Amino acid sequence: MIWMTWRQFRTPALATGTLLLALLGGLALTWSEVTQLARETGYTGCQGDACRAAGEAFLQALQPGWASEFHIAAIGALYLLPALVGIFWGAPLVARELESGTYRMVFSQSVSRGRWLLVKLAAGCGAAALGAGLLSLVLTEWAQPIDGASADRMNPLVFAARGIVPIGYATLAFVVGVATGLLLRRTLAAMAVTLLVVISLQIAAPFVVRPWLAQPVTTVSPLQFDGDYGISMSPDTGRMTVHVQPDRRGDWIVSSTTITSTGAEFTGPADMTQCGPRASGGREACQSWLGKQNLSLKVSYVPGSKFWDLQWREFGALFALTVALSLFSLWWVRRRLV
Amino acid sequence: MTSALIADGLTKRYGRRSALNDCTLDIPAGHVVGLVGPNGAGKSTLLQLACGLLDPTAGRIEVLGARPVSGSPQVGFVAQDTPVYAGLTVADHLRMGAHLNPSWDAALAKRRIAQVGLDPAQKAGKLSGGQRAQLALTVAAAKRPNLLLLDEPVAALDPLARRNFLQGLMELTAEQGMSIVMSSHLVADLERVCDHLIVLVASRVRVAGDVDDLLATHHRLVGRRRDTADLGAGRALVEQSHTEVQSTLVVRSTAPIVDPSWQVDRLDLEDIVLAYMSGAAGDGPDRVLEGQR
Repeated sequence: MIWMTWRQFRTPALATGTLLLALLGGLALTWSEVTQLARETGYTGCQGDACRAAGEAFLQALQPGWASEFHIAAIGALYLLPALVGIFWGAPLVARELESGTYRMVFSQSVSRGRWLLVKLAAGCGAAALGAGLLSLVLTEWAQPIDGASADRMNPLVFAARGIVPIGYATLAFVVGVATGLLLRRTLAAMAVTLLVVISLQIAAPFVVRPWLAQPVTTVSPLQFDGDYGISMSPDTGRMTVHVQPDRRGDWIVSSTTITSTGAEFTGPADMTQCGPRASGGREACQSWLGKQNLSLKVSYVPGSKFWDLQWREFGALFALTVALSLFSLWWVRRRLV
Repeated sequence: MTSALIADGLTKRYGRRSALNDCTLDIPAGHVVGLVGPNGAGKSTLLQLACGLLDPTAGRIEVLGARPVSGSPQVGFVAQDTPVYAGLTVADHLRMGAHLNPSWDAALAKRRIAQVGLDPAQKAGKLSGGQRAQLALTVAAAKRPNLLLLDEPVAALDPLARRNFLQGLMELTAEQGMSIVMSSHLVADLERVCDHLIVLVASRVRVAGDVDDLLATHHRLVGRRRDTADLGAGRALVEQSHTEVQSTLVVRSTAPIVDPSWQVDRLDLEDIVLAYMSGAAGDGPDRVLEGQR
């Protein structure tokens, strides 16, 4: 069964492998560029407060080179990989056999259906995990100075292209493809549905699943108007909201709202004589008026120190889904596929 | 007589449509058995139930004394339209067989491929229908099953390819001594190779027996028109047709018919099968469309 799996799987596997190798090659070639720039800008080995400035300089210096191109390409590839694996590896795996009738040939060999699918699932998941894992871990290592300087690896966009989470997405997408192919019995339909499911999953994860997994910390602190803040208000109704970007470098800000002393979100009404287009005092007057409103900032955030903790949690959730869907597929192929 | 296949009240339904309905039959082992019937009689469904590709909705089926499961080394199956992997070469198919079957006979497979003139490096998708059927038969036979099931294997072949295929099948039975059940809606395909025949119409066995017996016990009687109720003991009416003055009957009788008022002719196998098929027409349950592939 292993030979047969390899024989049927080798073309798509080699094609995907070639793409990954090209990216890995690009990362390998730009590795020295990243470390060299980090050293030259003084970011490597920096101490204390000097790091912030050195980091900025380092990121600036990186911008024009190949390194940043490959950085973006590798992140893009890690987002694209699950969709590709689901569509081109997973969806046709069973659907094509059902469509062309060859399942009747392979099921009349001396191999049970369960084992047939189990070997194929294991091979596909293994290859997907290997490909995604290799690229992701190499990228994580490669981008270590960049992530250190930008303190951005908790950013939802970057988070799913670092560490072990990409392995979870790739294997889950593969099994989603297999299961839809098994249920729909049509390759093209299975490919379309798989694409839809994988993309929805990738969109839903940072908004719904990750905050729930991460259990963000919530803090309430008196609102200080010494940093950057934004005001939006409607001059007719006096409805007003205040947006403050909390200074939490390296943390993932899940939500940040301005609340009143009762705990409800602050929505005005604004004192039209102090704030707005008809007020004469300008920005200063409005700020001092706001300062007297007893406002607080409620921030819900996930500390950057929980990066690997959250990586493992999300990977665990994806892995559990992969196992559940695999077991369902195995049950279906044995009991229901006729 | 041991049985290759026993079905008892076997039923397969797809939703409300039934492809096989309450079928009861017993196929003896050690024969080349022909399963004949019109389209929709349930032949394909029966064979797919027998190799474990389908699960019965109701009833019981036993193949070589056990409930059929797919992946059994005992049973070989060549499906209708003889599916093969289009992207794999002929040699790849043999390697697949060798990897997936512990009892694989590589020498037999190689010899048959050479015999039927297949190029091992050829992609299976580029083979003609006849070559594809030969390849599928080779893969199924080299597995060395005790029972080989063939579902309309020659339906798509031209007469020459058909003869070559049946020739190959006969060589296999002579060499390997495996039991074979093959279905067809054409008797001509079967009478050259089969020594046992089952006529299946609308899930019911109309007649089953050794070909020699069937040929010896069926007679066509032609005489002046008369009532057919008084045929006598040991005689069964299979089919009748009447004109103004003349009656033509097909009768099954173990004893020879010596009656000067009848002109008695022998029948060939095709006549016998057609008599059973038309004799059954109209009184069976609703015909169903050709079973699910």
